[in-house]
Amino acid sequence: MKRLSLIFATAALMLFAMGCDKIDINNTHKPFEPVAGQKAVLIKDFTGARCVNCPAAAETAHELQHHLGEDRIFILSVHAGFLAQPIGNFPDFLTEEGTIWYNNHDSNPLFSVDHVDLTEGYTLNVEQIDAPVSAALNEVQLFDITTTTTYDEASRRLEVENSFYPTGDGNGKYYATVCLVEDSIVGWQTIPGGVDREYVFRNVFRGTLNGADGQLVSNGPYYMEDVFTTTSSIEIDSTYNANQCYVLTYIYNYENGKILHTVMEKIK
Amino acid sequence: MRKYILITVALVLFSFRASAQSFLENSQVNGSFQTDAQYYVLDKGIGIDDLLGKKMGINGFGKVNYTNGNFSAGVRFEAFLPEMNGFRSELKGVGLANFFATYDNGFIGMTVGDIYDQFGCGFVFRTYEEWSLGMDNALRGARVVIRPAKGVTLKGLYGRQRYYWAPYLERDFNDDDTRGIVRGVDAEWDLNQSIPALNDSKFRMSLGGSFVSKKQYDMSIFYYIPENVGAAAGRLNLGYGNWSFSTEYAYKINDPSAINNFIYKEGQALMASLSYSQKGFGAVLQVKRVDNMSFKSMYTGKQNDLDINFIPPINYTHTHSLPSMYTYSTQPNGEMAAQLQVNYTIPKGTALGGKYGTKLAFNMSQVNDIVRDSVMDNGRMVISRPGSLGYTSRFFAVSNHRFFRDINFEIDKRISKDWHITAQYINLYYDIETIEGHAGAPVVKANIGFMDVTYKINKKQSLRLELQGLWENEVHAGYEYEESEKKDYQKRGDWAFALLEYTITPHWSFSIADKWNYGNPVEEYRDHYFTGTVSYIHEATRIMLSAGRQSEGVVCVGGVCRTVPASSGVTLTVSTSF
Repeated sequence: MKRLSLIFATAALMLFAMGCDKIDINNTHKPFEPVAGQKAVLIKDFTGARCVNCPAAAETAHELQHHLGEDRIFILSVHAGFLAQPIGNFPDFLTEEGTIWYNNHDSNPLFSVDHVDLTEGYTLNVEQIDAPVSAALNEVQLFDITTTTTYDEASRRLEVENSFYPTGDGNGKYYATVCLVEDSIVGWQTIPGGVDREYVFRNVFRGTLNGADGQLVSNGPYYMEDVFTTTSSIEIDSTYNANQCYVLTYIYNYENGKILHTVMEKIK
Repeated sequence: MRKYILITVALVLFSFRASAQSFLENSQVNGSFQTDAQYYVLDKGIGIDDLLGKKMGINGFGKVNYTNGNFSAGVRFEAFLPEMNGFRSELKGVGLANFFATYDNGFIGMTVGDIYDQFGCGFVFRTYEEWSLGMDNALRGARVVIRPAKGVTLKGLYGRQRYYWAPYLERDFNDDDTRGIVRGVDAEWDLNQSIPALNDSKFRMSLGGSFVSKKQYDMSIFYYIPENVGAAAGRLNLGYGNWSFSTEYAYKINDPSAINNFIYKEGQALMASLSYSQKGFGAVLQVKRVDNMSFKSMYTGKQNDLDINFIPPINYTHTHSLPSMYTYSTQPNGEMAAQLQVNYTIPKGTALGGKYGTKLAFNMSQVNDIVRDSVMDNGRMVISRPGSLGYTSRFFAVSNHRFFRDINFEIDKRISKDWHITAQYINLYYDIETIEGHAGAPVVKANIGFMDVTYKINKKQSLRLELQGLWENEVHAGYEYEESEKKDYQKRGDWAFALLEYTITPHWSFSIADKWNYGNPVEEYRDHYFTGTVSYIHEATRIMLSAGRQSEGVVCVGGVCRTVPASSGVTLTVSTSF
């Protein structure tokens, strides 16, 4: 009996000794180090103009982008859900594709990183994105993408050609989605304590050029020397500022939804 | 030779059959099943003009426990196909959610599987399942309980907590990856059991202590996250005659997390309770201080995800419809709370007590914020800045920021053999911005009253009438609001509620009710929420069918809450146990 108590006391002491890590309060920030590899990561920020916590969450995501590289992290602000419904003077950034991607979630802000688990209905809070972003940046890049845009000012017609270059041999079914993004739109946004009537909305998703699921890039075996090309077009809405519009293209594995690479190009 | 083999086999089979028979004879099996289903319909009258693809939600579980002497085992199966509105979408799924096996001979007890347990009041460890919240933070692992001497209990446990349907072993870069391992020990000494001289003493005393640590994975790009976070607690219970006193103090080392905005301050909690009781009279005074005590096995967790600990609320639990609309939700980042509860029964046969006596109850509880002072971080004075200490806080200082106050008085009186009445008045202060996150929304200051009258028609039939009213002091019809903030007023302003219930014992109950937000400042929100309910009870089986509207609100159990959106439709609940 005494031995048992002794064993218990020893185990408790060991747990006590090993169970605490004290962090030096003067050294809590990790240094930002350049991340190896070339793969870019797409963060979809499911947001709403009437969502009071969304601006702070977007700021955190942009801080992450700022530190890790604007050529490696892309943020797509997808307005979807109840708090994105336009009421009164709040802007209408709703899109059909955004509503499909949002997949009936019940709150904002929510995030997905390269679609991880999004197809299963899961999303992340902004505090949860840094770990999956870090992991995604270190993945092997399977495809490279180049985007060529042709924009006709008169007709406001935008033609997009994307070329996909495998970085090695492989096999699978891959789709690409081409998105229209408008940056720096000024409008009403709910913030803690009221409404910011001159809020600057960043990277607002305006719809896709080829549907929510995109279009087929490759199905079956592929080889490093292959080049796959897709084309798509759209007429830019007259209310959009073409000088602030971008085309964002991502290629993904059709079987699990996982995004493999993302690029963004100005339309003019 | 063959003959001997046959005899041996026969003997073995006989003994096995005999022991199996005895094993089965000593067995006890019990369990329960419940299915809650809601069929949703469009109801533009209360703003539901899109069902968002969900016409139905079904939550169901079935659990079976087996006991045989010192051995017990159980399983629980759950199905959310899909989950009902207001429950987390991560619950969607079906499967075996929970299982366990325990052997306990009084000296040693061992459990493997999903463990529910609590150390002290729960400041450093509590795992539990609450069906109505869709919450289950069971620890899947092992537990040992040793009782080396009379009155002494030692516990040790470890495992990983349930996170909806996330697998326990798989680790990849989804939101499951920072879920850590929880290890804990607890010791309790009941002096009255251990010391013979105190066995029958009026003086009662017990002591306890706990230490719990989580091992988590630092996946952060921004901050150094401690991979081992420990929390310790000590408790003391004293009693003498009609008096009793209990207290518990807990301390947690640096634990930056999404809940505390990634600050590195230590956490502390203290609760003390003094009570006195005698026949017809009882009083309890409780005080509590909580500072940065959210403790989760995943530092990125929000809401009620993966809570290792539990911070007990010290507020009156209202059960009637309007008083329970504004229920306090514990604030783990900081609160100073106090509660006084006094119960008195006016004796039978007195002028005020009448033939059956009269029960009176008074309760007052208030919760304020703690005081936070800024700290120096990189040459700047900051408060709660991520990556800094966060703040310092004077232990006994109380902030002027009041979160909640509830002053209520209740009278419960049996007037005659056939008539029974309960009435309560409540004065409420509810900081809806802090508690429910409605940024900028004005505080709810309200007077609430209800009367619950039961009339026994005969031995089998009875009628019950509830009349309730909620009157806000400031926000009501005519209150000026910003158009952009209209949604924050969805349940605000004055309410009236009436319910009539007809019961035929022991099987049937019928009720109709209406909850009316007649004094909402927004005209389009002045809605009626009609419901009709039929329930049938047969022994341990209950079937309830209700139809109508449900208003937006929160459901809270033990200070832990979930938001319920407004809905309209039909609800069916079937439950049974054996």
